[in-house]
Amino acid sequence: MSKEELKIGFIGNPNCGKTTLFNAYTGANLKVANWPGVTVEKKEGAMKYHNHVFKLVDLPGLYSLTSYTMEETVSRNFIMSDDVDVIIDVADASALERNLYLTLQLIELGKPVVLALNMMDIVEKRGLEIDMHRLPEMLGIPVIPVSARKKKGLDILMHAASHHMEQSSPDRIIHQHGENTSKSRHKHDHHKEYTMVYSDEIEDKIDMITEVLEKKYPEIKNFRWHAIKLMEMDPEIMEKYPVDLPHVIMRSYEKDIIKQKYDFIEEIIEEVVVNKKKQENRTEKADRILTGRYTGIPIFFGIMALVFFLTFTVGEWLKGYFEIGLDWFSGFFENLLVSMNTNEILVSLIIDGIISGVGGILTFLPNIFILFLALAFLEDSGYMARVAYVMDGIMGKLGLSGKAFIPMILGFGCTVPAIMASRALEDKRDRMRVIMITPFMSCSARLPVYVLFSQIFFGDKAMLAAYSMYILGILVAIASALVMKLFQKKKSVNPLLIELPDYKSPSAYTIAIYVWEKIKDYITKAGTTIFLASIVMWALLNFGPSGLTENMGESFGAIVGKALVPVFKPVGLGYWQIIVALISGIAAKEVVVSSCSVLFGVGNVTSDVGMESMLSILTGMGFGAVNAYSLMVFCLLYIPCAATIGTIKRETGSVKKTLGAIAFQLLVAWTASLIIYNIGRLL
Amino acid sequence: MTLFDGETGKTYIVENTDGLETGIGRRLEALGLTGKTPLRLLNRKKNGAVIFTVRGTRLAVGRLIAEKIEVAEAGNI
Repeated sequence: MSKEELKIGFIGNPNCGKTTLFNAYTGANLKVANWPGVTVEKKEGAMKYHNHVFKLVDLPGLYSLTSYTMEETVSRNFIMSDDVDVIIDVADASALERNLYLTLQLIELGKPVVLALNMMDIVEKRGLEIDMHRLPEMLGIPVIPVSARKKKGLDILMHAASHHMEQSSPDRIIHQHGENTSKSRHKHDHHKEYTMVYSDEIEDKIDMITEVLEKKYPEIKNFRWHAIKLMEMDPEIMEKYPVDLPHVIMRSYEKDIIKQKYDFIEEIIEEVVVNKKKQENRTEKADRILTGRYTGIPIFFGIMALVFFLTFTVGEWLKGYFEIGLDWFSGFFENLLVSMNTNEILVSLIIDGIISGVGGILTFLPNIFILFLALAFLEDSGYMARVAYVMDGIMGKLGLSGKAFIPMILGFGCTVPAIMASRALEDKRDRMRVIMITPFMSCSARLPVYVLFSQIFFGDKAMLAAYSMYILGILVAIASALVMKLFQKKKSVNPLLIELPDYKSPSAYTIAIYVWEKIKDYITKAGTTIFLASIVMWALLNFGPSGLTENMGESFGAIVGKALVPVFKPVGLGYWQIIVALISGIAAKEVVVSSCSVLFGVGNVTSDVGMESMLSILTGMGFGAVNAYSLMVFCLLYIPCAATIGTIKRETGSVKKTLGAIAFQLLVAWTASLIIYNIGRLL
Repeated sequence: MTLFDGETGKTYIVENTDGLETGIGRRLEALGLTGKTPLRLLNRKKNGAVIFTVRGTRLAVGRLIAEKIEVAEAGNI
């Protein structure tokens, strides 16, 4: 190894276990950011290998390297750049045929490539064998069997990567094509030089284009690849390196090039995959029910109901213990502070502001943990892709493909990643619509609001009241999508196209990392946004125009809140405290809960005692069950949190659209609350 | 016939996909749906979306795509 630092790019098809492998090397400490200028995710991690530092970059999951999507272009340019020393191509050995297509494209790029064959255990289970001598011979690159889940072969793969980078030309290529290559009238014997050799017609054209490129653009590193791309009429390469060869490039030869690559892959498969005995595929059996014509939709709704049932019941049970702990901590701390003769204002800030605010939010950790655990399970098992198929019919009526439903489900967890997941949609307008409706899917941050107010006002029907918020959120999202469809000029639907991977039992490690990331976010949010919001709230409520005030009703917060009372009166929320809580909720929706505890001076608001005193205060104000329900509806639908606003801005790249989304959501929230409050009052 | 008219459980040979929009056509080809390739129809929905396997890959596509994949019956290979 000549270099101290090696940059390795991980690339592979979606669902090939690439991320699991990447995690196995880097653990949970990775940096997630966007590629400069575009909204394509970039994950980076580092590892030590002997005395060297390896920088690993996880590229988006791809099927090919054309430039039809942003992901493909970004990945291709990154691999072609000098930034990357070696490419590790992760392939799902149980779907080798399709995975090799990307491999052939990568080899053609001319960078050192190592093929990591993942999921060999599944291959064995299916009674197949892969000839590990023949495969590298035919491809001309090292092939290493690995198991990302069992962490096998990891060292060997890195070893191969660090050695292989010094060789820029392929090892040895030994393959015979079906047709007699000796008869080829071609002037070079390309079979010795290149892994992928095309028909004479195409090879002749490649040679002619190469000749021109060599003269016109001597700076190009890989003439052959550029020649092939020009024959495919790749828009990016045509713009960068235009050539005037109308008699050579008479049309796009992309179809032929793809076909010939697959023909070669067929040869490879025939030679290296042995002992093909047919086995009943368990996934197909499961899919007959899970995606069945009559069973698919009921099962999906059943699964979602179970997810929320677990979130509320198991989460609630665990939450009880958190509250006992918080109560004890708060009491202990107050005694400690008082015994130290701490300034009264400071005690108030710490106990009423910080501990009751931040602590109240932390007690919801169990609910959120279970919700994300369930979502991780659905994603990692392979079920999420089925949801796109199952929901395709319903989504089609909204003018969207079933794929648009995936971001919506993720929205139950957190709106920020859900909006980012809309990147999977090909059409820009479809994306915009999904971005607009996803915030209506009730995220986990809104859960504390429902749980608190439904427990205070709805007794044994609390769970039902909270559930109804999720249903209402979905209904509003659907209605909004329908309205937007009416205003759309182009009526055609972008059809569904999605791969359905084999079902697998989820990897505990992958799930642990996924859930940990979310929990970490939640705790960080409690420690930063909510912490600051609690302090600001406390200050706004304890200071007024005349300085420190005993009476909250004269504070700055109250002045703002009171000014807005007329706006909120029609929807049953014309109480300045509630309005202040709602405004503070823009920082993060959980803050509505922590603010209430500060506003009403109720410490540990989620405990039984806390809720009882809340109930008596609110009832005394004339705020009853109908008002509480209206508040829940408003919280569900109004402006998403600051982080979501930031994400919408980033993903749409437009301030106008972002402001539009905010105005739209405020309007929807106000209208829905108005309707529900007035119906509720009549009942 | 097209994939849309296919019967669940049967194997077909891909004849022609030229009717598809270029972007979608190339993506399907990159996934292995090239001419003369056998595919097996696994599942279909009322709205016309289908699930099929081609070269060991399982794909779900909407009606608008299924209607434009021309296939011929191949019996049970």
